[in-house]
Amino acid sequence: MSVLFRARQQGAQQVKISAWRRFVTFWLHHAQQCIGSLGELARYPFASLMTMAVLGLSLTLPATLYVIVKNTDSVGANFQQASEITVFLRQDLNQQQVSTFAKRIELNEAVAQTRLIDKATALAEFRERSGFGEALETLDTNPLPDVLLVTPQEEHRSPAAAEALLQELKQQREVDEARLDVGWLQRFQAIVQLVRDGFLGLALLLCIAVVLIVGNTIRLNISSKRDEIMVMKLVGATDAYIQRPFLYTGLWYGIVGGVITWLATAALLWWLSGAVRDIADLYDSQFRLTGLNLAEMGVIWALAIGLGLLGSHIAVRKHVRAIEPQ
Amino acid sequence: MIQFEQVSKVYAGGFQALKNVSFSLEAGEMAFLTGHSGAGKSTVLKLISLMERPTTGRVLINGHDLKRIKRNQIAYARRDIGMIFQDHRLLMDRTVFDNVALPLLIEGYSMSEARKRVQAALEKVGLGDKLRHYPMMLSGGEQQRVGIARAVVNKPPLLLADEPTGNLDPKLSAEIIKLFEEFNRVGVSVLIATHDLSLIARMRYRTLTLKEGRMIDDGLAEESA
Repeated sequence: MSVLFRARQQGAQQVKISAWRRFVTFWLHHAQQCIGSLGELARYPFASLMTMAVLGLSLTLPATLYVIVKNTDSVGANFQQASEITVFLRQDLNQQQVSTFAKRIELNEAVAQTRLIDKATALAEFRERSGFGEALETLDTNPLPDVLLVTPQEEHRSPAAAEALLQELKQQREVDEARLDVGWLQRFQAIVQLVRDGFLGLALLLCIAVVLIVGNTIRLNISSKRDEIMVMKLVGATDAYIQRPFLYTGLWYGIVGGVITWLATAALLWWLSGAVRDIADLYDSQFRLTGLNLAEMGVIWALAIGLGLLGSHIAVRKHVRAIEPQ
Repeated sequence: MIQFEQVSKVYAGGFQALKNVSFSLEAGEMAFLTGHSGAGKSTVLKLISLMERPTTGRVLINGHDLKRIKRNQIAYARRDIGMIFQDHRLLMDRTVFDNVALPLLIEGYSMSEARKRVQAALEKVGLGDKLRHYPMMLSGGEQQRVGIARAVVNKPPLLLADEPTGNLDPKLSAEIIKLFEEFNRVGVSVLIATHDLSLIARMRYRTLTLKEGRMIDDGLAEESA
């Protein structure tokens, strides 16, 4: 397209290149500029890697926090399933009454299963485990009550439903006291929520920081090529043409930064996994840290690339435009 | 080709570079633009190449009012104008080939086509064997000729030169001017700004003279005389 000389045929038209060839050439130029900007980064490997590492490590923190929240959720789910109501029966019941009561509760549609710990078993167990064995010998009677452990049905395990079941059990004539410690469950959930919200805010701040860092790096890049950009504008380069290599630089920052995030997150989780295993073993749990799955890695990569592009886009929009030949 | 209609230019600081300048340059014409430094020569060239906009008046190229050229069209308009500078404005970290090929690659030429044209343009300025050299390895005159090759490589109908012989001795200057004459002979309009009066004196081309922002001689009266 010639603006000033309509009759003058230009460039691609003049040498009679088909639309298809021009389309191919367009993408070929894109590819060249893409590879070219990678080559440019390779010319200053240390500086380039520093920026990529800043991007990658900044995203490592949110990624690791995400993994921790994900794992906490799975632990929380385990805890929730374990919600059990402990029913202490009255001391004056005989064995017959106790087993009748246990059977009656088992028929309740909200109850999945029950387990009776009679007072004799409880005492034996207590004697064995507590180390008060000899002191207990001096007692005339068994001070422990019969205990019925009630596990609610799946759909009655939420704190509210379990609480309702608890109230129902408390109404029973045979029951002295019943306990469901939903308080700790609610507190646990509230803490998880707090941690999740905190992490989300932190992640957002870090993403903004990444955009600013990439933007500033690209800005410095642009100003170091000020003369070159001026010459290119003088010989007829459009802003879009001049911007492209810088945008590709941002893209490469994102691509490599994303991979750094994967590696750093994996390394951090590996570092933590020993400590987590020790804790899990102490709780007799098979719990192990789950790392990032493929989909999550994809999301992190896309995020890194997106942030790299956004940062460079903001920089080129402002600064390439501002450079005018003099 | 170029037409100035009562053009004035006041820079941001309040300095008035041009006062009511009117002249026109025909297609295929070659002319010198002269005057002391600060007389407004560079401003005239900047207005033509859309590096500056006039404060009042109109600048037309090939009948197109440059006021109508929008910001995003400037790049395309500049592809029709070959520009040569006193400091030649080459990219020092690129080879001669890359420098000359730059306008072609920007316009979307294929590499093979660009190679042919760059070779032809460099042959024309007598540097056909310096493709792989870096500008630093060349003399001042050679660097200037690389700049000229870059300006003409996509065959623009209009060539502007700002003090193209500023740093060169008389013999090299004459060679450079001879190059411009060759381009002019094939129909390219050429406008050369220079304060080298001895150079102009040896040529019999139209000379426009600026003084303190006013056109005191548009070279036409002299020609008819």
